[in-house]
Amino acid sequence: MEKIIVKTDQMWKQVLNQVQDWSRLNSLWAIHFNSGSCNGCDIEILATLTPRYDVERFGIKLKGSPRHADILIATGPVTRQARERLLRVYEQMPAPKFVVAVGTCSISGGAFLGCYNTLGGIDQVIPVDVFIPGCPPRPEAIVDGIIQLLTALKTGTFTAPQKPIVVQENWL
Amino acid sequence: MNDEQTLQQAEKLLAPFNKETLHPETHRLDVVVTSEDLHAAVTALHDAKWGYLCAITGLDNGPEANNLEALYHFAQDSVVTTLRVRAPRSPAASVPTIADIIPPAVFFERELHEMLGFDVKGLSDSSRLFLPDDFPPEVYPMRADFKQDQPVPVIEVGSETFPNEPTKIGNTFIVPIGPQHPALKEPGHFEFTVDGEVVTGVRMRLGYAHRGIEKAAESRNWIQNLYLFERVCGICSHIHATAYCMGVENLAHVEVPARAQAIRELVSGLERIHSHLLWLGVAAHEAGFDTLFMYSWRDRETVMNILENLTGNRVHYSANVLGGVKFDVDLEHARTIKEGLDYLEGRVRHYLEVVTTDAMLLQRTRGIGTITRAEAERYGLLGPTARASGVIRDIRVEAPYGAYHRFPISAIVETAGDLEARLVVRLKEMLVSCFTLRTIVDNLPAGELTARMPRKVPAGETISRVEAPRGELFYFIKSNGTENPARVHIRTPSLCNWTSVLEKAVGHQLADIPMMIAGMDPCFSCNDRLVTVVRPNESRTWTWRELREYGIEHYRDLKNISEA
Repeated sequence: MEKIIVKTDQMWKQVLNQVQDWSRLNSLWAIHFNSGSCNGCDIEILATLTPRYDVERFGIKLKGSPRHADILIATGPVTRQARERLLRVYEQMPAPKFVVAVGTCSISGGAFLGCYNTLGGIDQVIPVDVFIPGCPPRPEAIVDGIIQLLTALKTGTFTAPQKPIVVQENWL
Repeated sequence: MNDEQTLQQAEKLLAPFNKETLHPETHRLDVVVTSEDLHAAVTALHDAKWGYLCAITGLDNGPEANNLEALYHFAQDSVVTTLRVRAPRSPAASVPTIADIIPPAVFFERELHEMLGFDVKGLSDSSRLFLPDDFPPEVYPMRADFKQDQPVPVIEVGSETFPNEPTKIGNTFIVPIGPQHPALKEPGHFEFTVDGEVVTGVRMRLGYAHRGIEKAAESRNWIQNLYLFERVCGICSHIHATAYCMGVENLAHVEVPARAQAIRELVSGLERIHSHLLWLGVAAHEAGFDTLFMYSWRDRETVMNILENLTGNRVHYSANVLGGVKFDVDLEHARTIKEGLDYLEGRVRHYLEVVTTDAMLLQRTRGIGTITRAEAERYGLLGPTARASGVIRDIRVEAPYGAYHRFPISAIVETAGDLEARLVVRLKEMLVSCFTLRTIVDNLPAGELTARMPRKVPAGETISRVEAPRGELFYFIKSNGTENPARVHIRTPSLCNWTSVLEKAVGHQLADIPMMIAGMDPCFSCNDRLVTVVRPNESRTWTWRELREYGIEHYRDLKNISEA
């Protein structure tokens, strides 16, 4: 008798998880954080939300609060003053959470490598799941990065942050 | 009055304080004054209404000279008068504050204080403006002995001194906004003191995007720096590169070919259209008019296509090289540019009609945040924000540079000074840009694209002022004859326009704040920010989105507009 209860309990959990995953993958909500970038990436992120690129067709929506967000889209080389805020925003997000680093300077510091007030990339502060290079990356590349994340989650091939997704330049 | 007379007038005004006069360039006058005389000298210029304060540059002349210099740049038309104050490095170099005469100088002085360690006597607020809160005291990044790779302790969680949580003092509440303002070029952190609904005080903290570009520039060569300065701002990258190139070409005495200058103006015109359309969308979003946001961003893609077609990139176009431009404009390009401009002109005319007739939008813009002409001059506003208040402050007209002699533009001025006027000014500027760009494309002067640049730039100092989409952009470049610049100082227009937000927010409804920030500081690039607001009666946390919706609701109730 006990065994049967455990079994139904597990099944119920499994179904619940499946529903949760299904809904998450079809409506991924994002928050955007600028950790000291030049704004080039930020306007391209915004462009992906507007009619030409329209990332909302994949269920992705930009939210104002980290507590509502599944993905953190972060730009910039992380300035010393922004570091604490980046950590705080990341900590406020509910798990599971994914981090997308947009732009060369969010990956390595880019043009700002060696500046006294930058730390040289998002992954110096928080684990990153998707890297989108480019200065700035085109909106298509940003969409591609997020879709690769979604596909990896759907097919169960998601291995980040140990092996993060890197958007290749031959995305066209 | 021509340049000669303007210069003579300045020289006459400054004669009583003059210790040494230099004429570094034909349109410039450098006057050495003592720090005791500085206040009186600034008063003399100010009382005679000679020009306005452009920037204050701090210089460290190196350990051998053992002195620091503060350069106060005043500009009238194309003439720049610089008051140079020399002070020994130790004990702390001191200068008196001039913020009592010129209020916006307080930002420049705070920068001078924290970057070079000047002791500014009488400075009302000497808290950190750009550097992180835990930056070691008495370490000054722009001093020659500071190395950018020297270890500086990393900020620890909880060490921010600016209040993060809403706090209550007596009957007033302090409402922090930001710094998750990815929107602003400088992600600002504001602290609004509210009494009920009405804002009674504002403070601001910048520096979340301070990367240390000016210091980095000193260790990179002239060509590498071109790409670094493009990345000061992603929205107006071309104009930053243009200002830098103009300065370096000036120092090296290189004449840029006419065709290259015309192409520079062409790209900066396209950039202005893209920047203004971007801003229109964000301002509309803050007012709750998302349809306009989406439409204007859709149309912005037309300009982005043109830019990509011309330069191969959408955002950092890298159109400039030292001595010229990188690409040519052929007939095929000319055709696509004109097609795009025709379409955009129609759309901009439509938007102009929308922003001046749409009843819902007018309630959020007409008569809100009004800055009178006198106030605009007092706060030292620049660019479209100043022009909406009736002040003609446009470098393209006041001190034409590059191809603006050949292809002049007309300045757009509105007198109302409210948010509506700022929308109208920017929209009309796009129409002017469309017209000028067509003329340029049709009359491109023939010739080379680049002139030869020397690898080492002769020693000297130069100032280049250009009109960015947001107002006057100021570059001070000093070379000591090597492959690297000795000092580059940048003053962006937003820094001057902040004063308008800080002064004008007081007395306004909290519901107007999103629009006020959007309208006054035009450098917005993203739409969703996080804000925490606690109102006196109900202790509740609000997001920026809720605040925005609250603003929309507030006006709907106020005017009894039904949901339809």
